[in-house]
Amino acid sequence: MVAMRHESGSIREEPGVLAPSVPWDIGAQSQRQRILGAMAKSCADKSFPRATIADIVERAHISRATFYKHFENKRECFDAAVEAFLAELAATAVEAHSGADSPAEALRGAIAAVLDLLAARPAYAKLALIETPVIDPAPIGGYRDAVVEALEADWKSEKGSKRSGADARIAFGRAQVLVADHLAAGRAKELPVLLPELVYIALLPFAGHDDALKHATQGR
Amino acid sequence: MTASPSESGRARRSPEREPPEDLHLWKLPRGRHGLPREVVAQSQRERLLAAVVRVSAAQGYQATSVADVLGAAGVGRESFYKHFKDKEDCFIAANDALLGALEERVTEAYETPGSWPDRVRNGLAVTLEWFAADPDIARVMMIEMGTVGPIASDRFRVTFRRFIALLDDGREFIESAPDLPNLASIAGGAVFARVYEEVALGSVAELPNLLPQLTFELLLPYIGEDAAREEQRKATKEMNKF
Repeated sequence: MVAMRHESGSIREEPGVLAPSVPWDIGAQSQRQRILGAMAKSCADKSFPRATIADIVERAHISRATFYKHFENKRECFDAAVEAFLAELAATAVEAHSGADSPAEALRGAIAAVLDLLAARPAYAKLALIETPVIDPAPIGGYRDAVVEALEADWKSEKGSKRSGADARIAFGRAQVLVADHLAAGRAKELPVLLPELVYIALLPFAGHDDALKHATQGR
Repeated sequence: MTASPSESGRARRSPEREPPEDLHLWKLPRGRHGLPREVVAQSQRERLLAAVVRVSAAQGYQATSVADVLGAAGVGRESFYKHFKDKEDCFIAANDALLGALEERVTEAYETPGSWPDRVRNGLAVTLEWFAADPDIARVMMIEMGTVGPIASDRFRVTFRRFIALLDDGREFIESAPDLPNLASIAGGAVFARVYEEVALGSVAELPNLLPQLTFELLLPYIGEDAAREEQRKATKEMNKF
């Protein structure tokens, strides 16, 4: 799934690592993505304040002039990278979410897919979960609110669901802290192992502690 | 959905709150002094620490220069470099000092004898009061630390882990605590995320009003729905005492 996404030309973690059969019309769009990938890498290595346009253009194998054709400044490029990655996260979650038998199963599928994507793109993951909240909390806040709204719609019609007093926005925060902590520790590859815990966190507000725990530990 | 404190709560709590004693240190001293040299050196260091906190909170760490810190502290450049290698060194030293003070207070509250949930609530109350007492300090510790670079980020993560480790005592006291490897992080993450949000929004004065809700969220993964609800009620009573 992850490999397919690479082939279809979505966000690339490795800037400049193009397949041998580069399409002849590889144009502005892919150039832009290469810049975004370079931005993510640069931030992952140095953090946003220390990332420089010189470093980004070098990583993306483009000229400074090309950079400024796409973006006015470093911040605009940063925002675009965050936006692109959050959009891809959302699309991945929605795709994995569809066709499940129950909201709980849908949630588990979506979380598994999101964890795979985060593990495959550690630089973007760090950009979105560690750098963004410091630079500008709005994009993650917006993403969180969209996720919470979608989940609430899912569970509204669910019979027998015991709404807990747990706050869904706080649940999102718990997940963010747990994942960010793993990313910061350089443990991106282990993220998929967190599936049971993230299922527990996500179900907590909607199914309550006991059922959330049951779902989390099923299949162990 | 998130408990937003009532207008009356805001009016009741804010004016009477005084920064805890050990935070007075961080108010920039003014005026001249006629003190012995070691005391001057010590107070110079403290002035620089206070200054880097105040200036970074106001204009952001990245936009802060050593000259800004010197100006705010009323200390000369030469003295600065006697105490610190560079701006980052000074900033991290300030954070370490603040963290040390916070950790001491939290640990003291947490180790006061009582039931485990009571101890957790006491530690939480102290944490919320701390961040509410001084918005500059809250901003520097939660947000600006994240803009400094790899050393500061590592420091930040290690500190979070240390606070979280305190909580994991819960497994000892709560036999029914779920067997999830990151249970303490799941519990503590609720507080971290909520405090972070208020600090980022600049609304730290509201934090102590979140005690009941955050007591519930913090204890929930360990003790379950009903018991956590009971602790929330206790926290509400506790809060209304003041």
